[in-house]
Amino acid sequence: MILKISKQAKGELAFASSLLLLGLFVAWDTSRMEIPQGSSIISPQTFPYMVAAFTSLVGFGLIIDILRGRLGVPDGDEPGDPVIPTNYKTMAIVGLAIALHVVLLDITGYVIAAAVCFFGTSYGFGSRKYLKDFGISLTFALIVYFSFTKGLHINLPSGFFEGILGNGK
Amino acid sequence: MGNSFTMLLDGFQTAFTPTNLMFGLLGTFLGTLVGVLPGIGPALAIGLLLPVCLSVNPTSALIMFAAIYYGAMYGGSTTSILLNTPGESGSVITALEGNKMAKAGRAGAALATAAIGSFVAGTIATLLLAFGAPWMAEVALTIQPAGYLSLIILAFATVGTLLGSSRIRGLVALSVGLVIGLIGADLQSGALRLTFGNLNAIDGIETVTVIVAIFALGEALYLASRHTLVPTEVLEMKGKAWMTREDFRRSWRPWLRGTAIGFPLGVIPAGGSEVPTFLSYGVEKALSKNKTEFGKGAIEGVAGPEAANNANAAGVLVPMLALGLPTSATAAVVLVAFQSFNIQPGPMLFQTSPEVVWGLIASLFIGNTLLLVLNLPLIRFWVLLLKIPTHYLYAGITTFALLGAYALNNSTFDLQVALAVGVIGYLFRRFGVPITPLIIGVILGPLAELQFKRALQISQGDWHILIAGSFPKIIYGILLLVIIGPLVWNFKKKFAVAK
Repeated sequence: MILKISKQAKGELAFASSLLLLGLFVAWDTSRMEIPQGSSIISPQTFPYMVAAFTSLVGFGLIIDILRGRLGVPDGDEPGDPVIPTNYKTMAIVGLAIALHVVLLDITGYVIAAAVCFFGTSYGFGSRKYLKDFGISLTFALIVYFSFTKGLHINLPSGFFEGILGNGK
Repeated sequence: MGNSFTMLLDGFQTAFTPTNLMFGLLGTFLGTLVGVLPGIGPALAIGLLLPVCLSVNPTSALIMFAAIYYGAMYGGSTTSILLNTPGESGSVITALEGNKMAKAGRAGAALATAAIGSFVAGTIATLLLAFGAPWMAEVALTIQPAGYLSLIILAFATVGTLLGSSRIRGLVALSVGLVIGLIGADLQSGALRLTFGNLNAIDGIETVTVIVAIFALGEALYLASRHTLVPTEVLEMKGKAWMTREDFRRSWRPWLRGTAIGFPLGVIPAGGSEVPTFLSYGVEKALSKNKTEFGKGAIEGVAGPEAANNANAAGVLVPMLALGLPTSATAAVVLVAFQSFNIQPGPMLFQTSPEVVWGLIASLFIGNTLLLVLNLPLIRFWVLLLKIPTHYLYAGITTFALLGAYALNNSTFDLQVALAVGVIGYLFRRFGVPITPLIIGVILGPLAELQFKRALQISQGDWHILIAGSFPKIIYGILLLVIIGPLVWNFKKKFAVAK
């Protein structure tokens, strides 16, 4: 029997295989677990092995399901809807905006990190009014920063605005 | 019974203090807001507000969360009817008939039957909750660890296999949740699992971070990847949001039937609000004298499912409060909220924190009434909110989600976790894997292990204890029915087709 695997099925097979690998990985990590002395009757390894077995089994089951032609229906679609091609560019922009927030927070402080994230996400979602977007991003970040640090007394990194914005306390 | 009644009166006293009333009002407002806005639901909203509320009195914070929980359903039905884009999963069915009614110029009647039906169902179901939950908690006090474990496994099975279109994909989500739940130090022995020498991971992964990231970041990445952001058309609401005598006559039976379907299906973990709303729709369609109207805007098709949705939400709170077992994403995040105030839902809750739990239940009644009074007049305001451009809306949600993930512990590690979970959330949506089982896995996985170990400690390592006694046997019997039932059903259908 020659299986013709569509491009869509290939992506989903990769996803299912990674689940199978995740199960094996958990089993491997559990096998090299350091067990502290004086543990109780039940080893701390028992439950993780069960989870590992379950995960691998489910991953295997998913692979079978896909090979039998039952592909997952993307969220919001109905079965049989035309496949919407993945727009990697817009997704990468939004992903990058989130990642930049994570990286920038400790370096530049909250205001810049949040403004960059807001601007990047709205750009990724198709907004092209740069000046307006910039203004809204910065205003949003400043409002959040001040209402959290001053209003709710929740600390946020002030970064190199420390002198201007106060120390965030 | 008598005792519950006096406790409930005390609860009303707690809820009626100006502070708590204000938090309740704020909650109904925020709840409706997140119900109306796409991309943000009650689970995400409570997760985002949790870090902010940690300094607030637990009773007030939980009252607000409960109001958000109920409010989101009101908001969800508004968008279903006016936009045909359900704000949350329980309102998907409402859109079927509700949007057709709106297109036929009967938006006011649809909104009214949804709101009044939600009120009627919510009130009856909250009464059932007030008397049912303490009773269930009392029974639950006698449950042994092995029995408790069987209940958790039943919850896994129902949430895992009944949600979404494909059973295997529900289990996929559950397994990933269980793996996430493993991360960190084992509670009893202190052995480290899946931490890879990262000190931040020893305490485990914050459940709130997972919830916030999988909903907000996962959704943002997914929508960006599809880039199908066509602005939706908001239907104008003509006239007042009110019903005629005829509408009432056609609505009240569906309201009551919806309540009868929704509440029990919430108590026994049947996996979210999709099943009861769908069931209620089916029942109304079968019983209706105006079958031809279905699909063209039948008011029964709005009244029944909306009532079922609200009753179901109250039902879900019963096992959450009395057993500590959440079966929906929102119930899960409310449970986490309890825990972050060092209050543990479960059989002991009604004895250890009567003020909190009865204040909460009383505030559900108050919230429900506030929602009815505030919602219909405010509908024009909610509709106005829908004019926020989508790109700003998602930019705001994304940035807020990251703030929520960070502010819980002021930890950059949590942000890295959020990013990773966001990618998982994207992959799940892309490949049709439901989200809720993952969250249930993250929360109940460690609890399952705890009960599993307790049971085996009692029996000195004899595994027979897991099925000893009648309680676990009954639960596993139900489990078999849940698993085998649909298989037999499918087989019969295929057989009938083959014939």
